[in-house]
Amino acid sequence: MKAWQRNGILTAALLVFGAARMPFEASLARELRAAGLTPPPMEIGTRDKIGQTSSAVALGGLRTLVATFLNLRAFSFFQEQRWDDVADTYDTIVDLAPRTRYYWETGSWHSAYNAASYYMNDSRLPALRRREAWRASILRGRAFLERGIRNNPTDWSILANLGFLLSDSNKFAAFRDSNEAFAAAADAYRRSADTGKALPYVRRAEFYSLARVAGKEKEALALARSLYTDPRNRTPTLLILLLVLEAHENPSMDSTRRALELFGTPEKAYEALTGHWRRTHERFPVYGIAAALESLEKNLAVPENKSIFKQPLQSTTGPDDWFQK
Amino acid sequence: MSNTTMISRGSHVSRIWVIALHAFTQLVRMKVFYFLAVFAVIAIASNFFDLPQHEGPESVGVNVLRSIKSWSLGTMTLFSVVLSIVATALLLPKDVEDRTLYTILAKPVPRMDYLAGKLLGVLLLVFVSLALMDVLMTAVLQIRTSMVMEQQLEMARAMDWPQDAIESLRAETLAQGPSWSLQGAVFAVFLRASVMASLALLISTFSTSTLFTTIISFLIYFIGHFQADARDVYLQAGQAGEGVFARLASLLISLVLPDFQNFNVIDAVIEGQAMPLLVLGKLTLIGLYYAVFFTVASWFIFAEKEF
Repeated sequence: MKAWQRNGILTAALLVFGAARMPFEASLARELRAAGLTPPPMEIGTRDKIGQTSSAVALGGLRTLVATFLNLRAFSFFQEQRWDDVADTYDTIVDLAPRTRYYWETGSWHSAYNAASYYMNDSRLPALRRREAWRASILRGRAFLERGIRNNPTDWSILANLGFLLSDSNKFAAFRDSNEAFAAAADAYRRSADTGKALPYVRRAEFYSLARVAGKEKEALALARSLYTDPRNRTPTLLILLLVLEAHENPSMDSTRRALELFGTPEKAYEALTGHWRRTHERFPVYGIAAALESLEKNLAVPENKSIFKQPLQSTTGPDDWFQK
Repeated sequence: MSNTTMISRGSHVSRIWVIALHAFTQLVRMKVFYFLAVFAVIAIASNFFDLPQHEGPESVGVNVLRSIKSWSLGTMTLFSVVLSIVATALLLPKDVEDRTLYTILAKPVPRMDYLAGKLLGVLLLVFVSLALMDVLMTAVLQIRTSMVMEQQLEMARAMDWPQDAIESLRAETLAQGPSWSLQGAVFAVFLRASVMASLALLISTFSTSTLFTTIISFLIYFIGHFQADARDVYLQAGQAGEGVFARLASLLISLVLPDFQNFNVIDAVIEGQAMPLLVLGKLTLIGLYYAVFFTVASWFIFAEKEF
């Protein structure tokens, strides 16, 4: 057989065998992608960011290894407080390893907590710019977590992290509509708990957020009653909010009697309710609390100068105070 | 008649095995196993990339488990691909240089047996190396997983967690530890290396130098990770208005080059996902398909080669 004949046969065989395997490979690729076993193709922007060498390594089937290297690099940026570089690096990392919870949570944490705290205290910037940078960092952290959830809709921890960020009393001012933020937090916690893998506190956290959404009191009360049936859920906050929501539903309810039912003794009820009364910065509702406190103070003979109504409330400082200087 | 066939088949297998063992010994004498020391250092060092983190006490340490898997499987991939390409590219020219090839082919050894034996020798070396690395990785991972688990259980008990929460935490942490899916991922690394070795064997049958075979094989390895993109372009052609030449080029790439992207399930396993056995079975089928085809194609070229 002549060389050209041999090469011709080999080429034809390559094409025929290629055509035979193509449908099988294409269907397997679709199956693997649908099951989340292979990541989506790497974007051109990601290839540019990680450079030629890393790109070649990532394309060579080592995406998670490149992500690990970049995570180390991001840590150096964090130590040097180069926040834009930290955020850019995590954008790239999650393109490479979109299923790793740790990267989504750490990237968001750097933006919403570390960068935000840095800008709060960055004396080189005027107050207005510091405030804007603080807010932008928190919103970037939120957006990053929301992207993580779109990529991992059944990951309880990323969902719970979003709920935590949106219901963090130190971040309220960053979200223009706190009612929307509490509703979104409750929704994130609910989805997290619905995965069935979340820790027990997540369902309670859903309730704590839902209780703060104006207009959702009825739903919150139903959830509180359902949680109350399990003794492990009877935390002081849950008991107080149950009382508050019942008082909202039925304003003529005797809230003192209900407080005594929930807490057992007037002393315990007074201690819990005063604590709640003072937590104004967390924006919990207080329906019926004032009436119960007045009645309990009479019952316990609390001197007028020691009355909770004469005590200063917990500090309500917020961005308006932080960014004055 | 049937006895003759059996004897003939038996002798084929024994010939291939003898050549494979010779190739294996030849490669072992090149001190490739020294690489295992490097791997051991990497596997142990990956334990120390425990960066300060934001996570709650329930997640502490889990990231290190992922780091161990990522470093170890990454190193295995690099090692297996480099070894399979370079060792295969080296074998034929070395046999020609040492004149061993002439001695073998002067005997009644079919050329197919010779090629299959050489390939098997390389695959044996890659398999043994990966198995040793796998044992080391699994041991390191097992020890670290136990440590992480102990810390977490201690924390859970201190915080008086209910049993179902503890079980959920245990399941999540165990998913990051040694698992059958992880062993499947190591096998996928071996399959990809096998495809590369058989491809390098094909190239080396018409190549003029070891360097040429090595470079072309590495190029194909990297382009093979784009093959699926080319196939998508071809299959979805018309939707984006590609020209005829773009369609033809993408079709050609899809038909000629192997698709390595499917083997990237390794990344998902590193991230803690489970790999179904069916997926591994399908990958094995694809790997076998390539290896058999490239070996037969190599024989087709090699059969009439003059030395």
